[in-house]
Amino acid sequence: MSGAMDEAKVGVYVCHCGGNISDVVDVKAVAAELGKHPQVAISKEFAFMCSDAGQKLVIEDIKSGKINRVVVAACSPALHELTFRKALQRADLNPYLYEHVNIREQVSWVHKGDHDAATRKATSLTRAGVEKILRQDRLESIHVGAAKRVLIVGGGPAGLKAALDSAARGLKVTLVEKSGRLGGHLHEFDTVYPGGQSASELLGKLLSAVSANPAITVVLGAEVKTWDGFVGNFKAVLSTGDAVNAGAVIMATGYRHTAPSAGEYRFGKDDRVITLPALIEQMKAAPRGPLTRGGRAVRSVAFIHCVGSRQIEGVHAPQEDGKVNDYCSRVCCTAALHTINALKERQSDLAIYDLYRDIRTYGRGHEAIYEQASKNGVLFFRFTEEAQPEIRESSVVVKDVLTWNQEVELPADLVVLVTGVKPGEVAELTAMMKLPTGSDRFLQEAHPKLRPVEVANNGFFLAGACQAPMDLVESAAAAGAAASKVAAVLSKDFITLDPYVARVDAEKCTGCEACLPECAYTGALFMNGSKKAEVNAALCKGCGACVAVCEPRALDLAGWSLDQMEAMVDAMASEVAP
Amino acid sequence: MEHATSLGDKPPKILIITTIASSYTGANTVGQARAQYAPNTYILRVPDPVMFPEDFYLRCFDKGFAGIIIMSSGSDCPYEGAYGRLSARVGRTYLKMKEKGIPTTRLKLTTVCTVCKHAFLKEIDDMQNHLKEKAA
Repeated sequence: MSGAMDEAKVGVYVCHCGGNISDVVDVKAVAAELGKHPQVAISKEFAFMCSDAGQKLVIEDIKSGKINRVVVAACSPALHELTFRKALQRADLNPYLYEHVNIREQVSWVHKGDHDAATRKATSLTRAGVEKILRQDRLESIHVGAAKRVLIVGGGPAGLKAALDSAARGLKVTLVEKSGRLGGHLHEFDTVYPGGQSASELLGKLLSAVSANPAITVVLGAEVKTWDGFVGNFKAVLSTGDAVNAGAVIMATGYRHTAPSAGEYRFGKDDRVITLPALIEQMKAAPRGPLTRGGRAVRSVAFIHCVGSRQIEGVHAPQEDGKVNDYCSRVCCTAALHTINALKERQSDLAIYDLYRDIRTYGRGHEAIYEQASKNGVLFFRFTEEAQPEIRESSVVVKDVLTWNQEVELPADLVVLVTGVKPGEVAELTAMMKLPTGSDRFLQEAHPKLRPVEVANNGFFLAGACQAPMDLVESAAAAGAAASKVAAVLSKDFITLDPYVARVDAEKCTGCEACLPECAYTGALFMNGSKKAEVNAALCKGCGACVAVCEPRALDLAGWSLDQMEAMVDAMASEVAP
Repeated sequence: MEHATSLGDKPPKILIITTIASSYTGANTVGQARAQYAPNTYILRVPDPVMFPEDFYLRCFDKGFAGIIIMSSGSDCPYEGAYGRLSARVGRTYLKMKEKGIPTTRLKLTTVCTVCKHAFLKEIDDMQNHLKEKAA
């Protein structure tokens, strides 16, 4: 693996990042110290390595033949590792002969008070980067064939939008919906915010477009029953017996409304107390005239926010899995205010009281909905989680924070609990597909900012509220992004994967099979006909579990070998004073 | 072989093993918040620490690291079953440390997520304090 070490000529580039690094780390000293390493041919510092000029520096040094491996000590690799890999490619150098050392987020920004120590640490870390890249092979990306079909799980608005966008990009789509109809929660609404469009018209357009598109196959009343394969070649069998071979998967499994716990705000005991979805359903069923309850006109309504959201352990009853929903459901504030405005439009003399802990009208145009509610004469009262409103015979009592905890009794013919959302029932499915979920039980993206609609598992993407509470606009945007990502992945006949997977040195392998029980991924690691361990690179996830138990070190993780890690540790442990 | 936490005039170095999916990003989050911690801490980025055999940790102690904090992804780990395997591996490492007379408190397995600023800093503080007490 390190056979190329003798001919290795490393270029080291230490970035100032403006002053972000160089105000704390003596970058000239770091570069000078690294320049003493026998296999470092060039060691420089530069103001902004990520700039065109900085990249050009690297490219020119490679093209001149002075260096054939590169270490850049700069910001986090999450930001610019790929930038420099591409620069190496442009210089016709294997892009994996590159190591990115983080001396900003993990040195200069966290050790401001000790410039000498920060400099010593930056030197050690950069030296560790050099030792790692000296032991790096010319890795090659892995190519696997790709089925040009995307499987979309969930036929709500996010699933429909993802299906249409995927089909528009030339992909075949199989859209699987558990229930007997497409449309999901969009069926529940009369109008949708922020534009106030008719939900049924919007849904009608989506359904017409889907049914008219020959590239989209809809399977209703179906669930994924068995699951196998890898990115480019997933194989699902549905409960209907249909088999699907897809190159990628978009999860659009949506959300469920939370239900108030038994007796919470007298829910279930007092028929004046209903949930927001129940009110919306009632308004949709009887779209005109005054609101009624039990045959009598409703003259006053109290809305209570944050029911089933932002719960506190010990205060609120836990959900079915024993955990409370401590997250904010985000969408319910605007949904409540949108509904309130619709109520006021049909019944202007209706007294409406809005009891909230915090109002979150965060989206484009949402604040206008809040303002409109205020103009419509809605009275707002703020309470704390310690002093929740009390439901009485014909009123609601609230300790109003806005008036220094004055206790206010409000008449209420109807009490509407503004309930939150939780993820759809997908535990079995995610266990089968081995998908990660967060502590809030929603499906988890690989990175909230850098890879917001991708799952860490290759080939899986997220659309809509399966990932987090989202409104229709956000769901549609996420669905569009997911479809776009899928199209990028499946745009070629093959898929390119990072080469960071386990690999076997057959000469060292003794055939002891100690590695086999360590591998959690069926088919990724197996014994071949020669009684040697063999890795299916497309199935291996690169966790390295097998590496740890291989005594003869026949198994290793490409790009993260034990030799490399030990050399890095040695460099970090050694004292290097600039 | 000497395994004392006191390393003469050298500061007691702490190796922090982080995961790409979680704790390495968590360490970046600490940096973005400009939270400060001692510079005798060295962060190693790996896909998952489950890749390390028991002897790797012993070797790190031999090379001069006074303490090792393994900041795993815990329940957020994207690799199936890896956390359980890692825990078992660390358990076996503790046995080897005992055999060699190395205090097991010098190796800590914990979980740090992408935004766990406080947990990240607390683990470092705890290890620093522990090493100071041992050295005193």
